[in-house]
Amino acid sequence: MSIISSPFSISIPCSNSSSSSSLSFSTSFSAQFVKLQQHQRKRGGAMVVKMSLEAGVGVMGTKLGMMSFFQPNGEVVPVTVVGFKEGNIVTQIKTDATDGYNAVQVGYRRVRDRKLTKPEMGHLEKAGAIPMRHLQEFRLQSVDGFEPNQRLVFDELFNEGDLVDVSGTTIGKGFQGGIKRHNFKRGPMSHGSKSHRQLGSIGAGTTPGRVYKGKKMPGRMGGTNRKTRKLKIVKIDKDLNVIMIKGALPGKPGNLLRIAPAKIVGKNIPKN
Amino acid sequence: MASQVLLQALFSPIQCPPSKLCFTSSCTASTFGSRNLPLISTSISRRCSPLIAKPSFVVRADSNSDAVSASDNVDENPEASDNVDEVPETEGEQILDSASEVEESKPPRQTRVKLGDVMGILHKRAIAASDEVRTTPDLRTGDIVEIRLEVPENKRRLSIYKGIVISRQNAGIHTTIRVRRIIAGTGVEIVFPIYSPNIKEIKVVKHRKVRQARLYYLKDKLPRFSTFK
Repeated sequence: MSIISSPFSISIPCSNSSSSSSLSFSTSFSAQFVKLQQHQRKRGGAMVVKMSLEAGVGVMGTKLGMMSFFQPNGEVVPVTVVGFKEGNIVTQIKTDATDGYNAVQVGYRRVRDRKLTKPEMGHLEKAGAIPMRHLQEFRLQSVDGFEPNQRLVFDELFNEGDLVDVSGTTIGKGFQGGIKRHNFKRGPMSHGSKSHRQLGSIGAGTTPGRVYKGKKMPGRMGGTNRKTRKLKIVKIDKDLNVIMIKGALPGKPGNLLRIAPAKIVGKNIPKN
Repeated sequence: MASQVLLQALFSPIQCPPSKLCFTSSCTASTFGSRNLPLISTSISRRCSPLIAKPSFVVRADSNSDAVSASDNVDENPEASDNVDEVPETEGEQILDSASEVEESKPPRQTRVKLGDVMGILHKRAIAASDEVRTTPDLRTGDIVEIRLEVPENKRRLSIYKGIVISRQNAGIHTTIRVRRIIAGTGVEIVFPIYSPNIKEIKVVKHRKVRQARLYYLKDKLPRFSTFK
């Protein structure tokens, strides 16, 4: 059965029933522990890891805005400028032996230590890292070459011309109707029509006599985690600590972004 | 009047980084008389005191050595917590007292760039880089302008576009002008990004006195108002 994960959920492995798996959905804590491991218990109690492998370790950044970039051949490219606050420090290395999978946990955005709870501070002090707000994991095939409290520098990981996947929380649009949310077509505006922006029909007749689950209907739109794939890095500015990525990225300026090498089938998707 | 101006100048950049605050306050402190200083420092302290709890700023330094050691504290703390949510604003009070000493004793201090200023800095740098290749004159609505444009695909001689600037949209590096002219009987409006590397030359040939910022009314007027030889 499919489990839908929300960005602000932390799953605690439940020990009550061995045959069913459940996730506890919790509201956002003071530290947003996004993209940490979601575990599922199989029959017999063995743990199954649900996070997908990354093509390489990535970094976290902040969306700053958009501008035009004139390339040397005169072509104009719309770029998004991504800045980096103090962070991108490895806080924990997870290995097969200890946790059942290999991952690198990276922190971002330094805050005052009063803003983090004592458990969070203790977790960061175990790595000897500064107090950071966001923690995200990058699941890899092998975690050699990473140590706790290692700074990840983006210009060593990425070069100009690389393709990256960027994910982040999209702009929230609130409660939206079918036309905006699911690209439905509206009814005629005149000629006696009484239905302009309504859903129209939502099902068949006596058979099946119900509305299918997952029927596209109005609801809350936006504010979700989305990934934009295969975006090219146009420029890396080392003294301003800024990356320029071609195209648009999720969210408004100030949004937290997760930048990872692009997963391209046949090139760098690890085979498992 | 002068004290009011000084108060405004000191209150408005309160949200700026502490380095900026210290420089503005130091230059104003040196120009105005010393009798203004006690008035302003107390008012700033009243406004900023609920925010801080940093013991290093409590001690006022009058002597030069104390100012140097205190400014060391000032330098270390912003380096460590510059990206922290609340900027320590009480540095303003201390730096007011020892403004000139701070400037002279710590010249090679690296000012950390705030992430909110990065977009402005990028635009300014891009415009400066474009100015090195080709200077862009100051273009305003109503200028009759001649533009030489290179089309990369053709590699022929440059195309020349002449016409009147009917609007200018300021957007940093992508600042554009709209040039209108009657070509072969039809009105043609072309949008040029003035800092583009494809534009080889922009020359202001004449200027027509206009009283609008956007001359969209020319689209409805007679063609002879948009013809240029």
